[in-house]
Amino acid sequence: MRAVMAIARKELTSYFFAPMAYIVIAAFLLMNGFIFSVILAALSQPGAFSAQPMLLFFGGTTFFWIFMIVMTPVITMKLGAEERKTGTIETLMTAPVSDLEVVLGKYLGAMALYAAAWLPTVFYVWALTAYSKVDVGPVISGYLGVLLVGMFFIAIGLFTSLVSKNQVVAAMLCFAILLLLILISILTFLVTDPFWKPVLQYVDLWSIMQGFAKGVVDSRSVVYCLSGTALFLALGYQAMQTRRWR
Amino acid sequence: MIEVKDLVKRYGDTAAVNHVSFQVHPGEIVGFLGPNGAGKSTTLRIMTGFLPPTAGEVFVGDHSAQEDTKAVRRLIGYLPENNPLYEDLRVQEYLAFRAALKGIPGKARKGRIQEVLEACEVTEVKDRIIGACSKGFRQRIGLADALLANPPVLILDEPTVGLDPVQIVHTRSLIKTLSADHTVILSTHILPEVEAICSRALILHHGALLYDGPVSELRQGLGGEAGGLLCTVSADAEAARRCLEGVEGVERVERLATAEGPPRFHILTAQGVDVREGLFRACAAAGLPLLELTVQQVSLEEAFLSIMTQENSSEVLS
Repeated sequence: MRAVMAIARKELTSYFFAPMAYIVIAAFLLMNGFIFSVILAALSQPGAFSAQPMLLFFGGTTFFWIFMIVMTPVITMKLGAEERKTGTIETLMTAPVSDLEVVLGKYLGAMALYAAAWLPTVFYVWALTAYSKVDVGPVISGYLGVLLVGMFFIAIGLFTSLVSKNQVVAAMLCFAILLLLILISILTFLVTDPFWKPVLQYVDLWSIMQGFAKGVVDSRSVVYCLSGTALFLALGYQAMQTRRWR
Repeated sequence: MIEVKDLVKRYGDTAAVNHVSFQVHPGEIVGFLGPNGAGKSTTLRIMTGFLPPTAGEVFVGDHSAQEDTKAVRRLIGYLPENNPLYEDLRVQEYLAFRAALKGIPGKARKGRIQEVLEACEVTEVKDRIIGACSKGFRQRIGLADALLANPPVLILDEPTVGLDPVQIVHTRSLIKTLSADHTVILSTHILPEVEAICSRALILHHGALLYDGPVSELRQGLGGEAGGLLCTVSADAEAARRCLEGVEGVERVERLATAEGPPRFHILTAQGVDVREGLFRACAAAGLPLLELTVQQVSLEEAFLSIMTQENSSEVLS
């Protein structure tokens, strides 16, 4: 645990020492602020269909997903790839730490940056309360959804970075996997097969996020995100272990 | 303290390390010699548990480097080749991170970091970003990291590469000081370094151990034939030669090329025969002033080369 925290702290420090963290957070907030204002403007039009702005904010727009699949690889790409490239993996893995501690530490560090990027958006909610009544329940479950999907995505990103020596390759691989996961939403409309349709609906992240944004915490969605996280963390751990087989 | 048993490491068909066995006792300071690509770094990496061997075993203080990696890592302070560091951290932060990783308790950390910063003379850059440090500082930061947890064993892979001559002398004396209460293994391809610091040398070539013994013997016995004597006599070259050849025990006298001045000779004798006194008396008797009489040492480089070029390594090992 001591080592996990030390590695997580180091990763987070590294983010903030490089321009990386600032660019990620600034770009994220700029995008989100823009999307939020567009949503508000659209909903304030006379005759607009009635909807909670936060419902659209949490995964209700394509922007949300575009940003998620771009931001995740940017956060995670260097986690493992850089250590391999610069050789620091040798100093790291000759310190008394286990592979699992390294994987978890790096994961926690990346999650901390992800959370740090989302934290300022709480301000939007606060701003909304000044002008209208905000239902707190869906907002909380919306953030829970953001956290769960983020956990899933960051785990994928960490895995792709642990298997490659090149940051760009890691980022592209992560991007491809995330894109595939998102595209399932489109497949659910196209597939009519009675067996596959419910399966695809179960893993459709778009509707999962919409569920959370509506205030519905569906245990199936939670289990899906958590098991996805666990799967990719386990794969990442295996990737670390393969070093010993060579 | 360290036992390496029949270590083999293969990459595909090529054997980087080929049946290497040796032991290192507590308090020893061992020089690991060999040209680039001899398998030094691979052996050290296996010893630290970073790489798995193809066959064979390594024990550090009763722990197997493969089975009980974490225990072995606790006993070892390791400075890898090329000394990889996190470029974007400050020196002090880096050491704080390493201290936490190595399990130094929070309260002791600050003091310990201070100590290694001073021991390695890097205090002046402690607030600098590592990426902005010179090669000399970086090397010493790596060394400071290796010392951090005060491990009983230090494994240093080419610790003086990239340092200027003053820093090299400093680093060597630091390592020498450390050897008082640490077991040190250092790899290098610089022979005088081994001579300056180490008590024992291991020579690795093409993955095989060619020599394992005291550094002093490396120079004497294994240089092949003895180096002979250098002698300058203030006299006519031919007269001097006749006089020198007449001494009992002298096998061959060769005149060395000198631009001017008195003739200089290289005198070869049978192994273990000392002709210095005879030479003096012969020259004195003949009335030829003896200007120089030097025992020619076999340089370590020559010894090294002769060991490496010997086809049959088993003769040397014994």
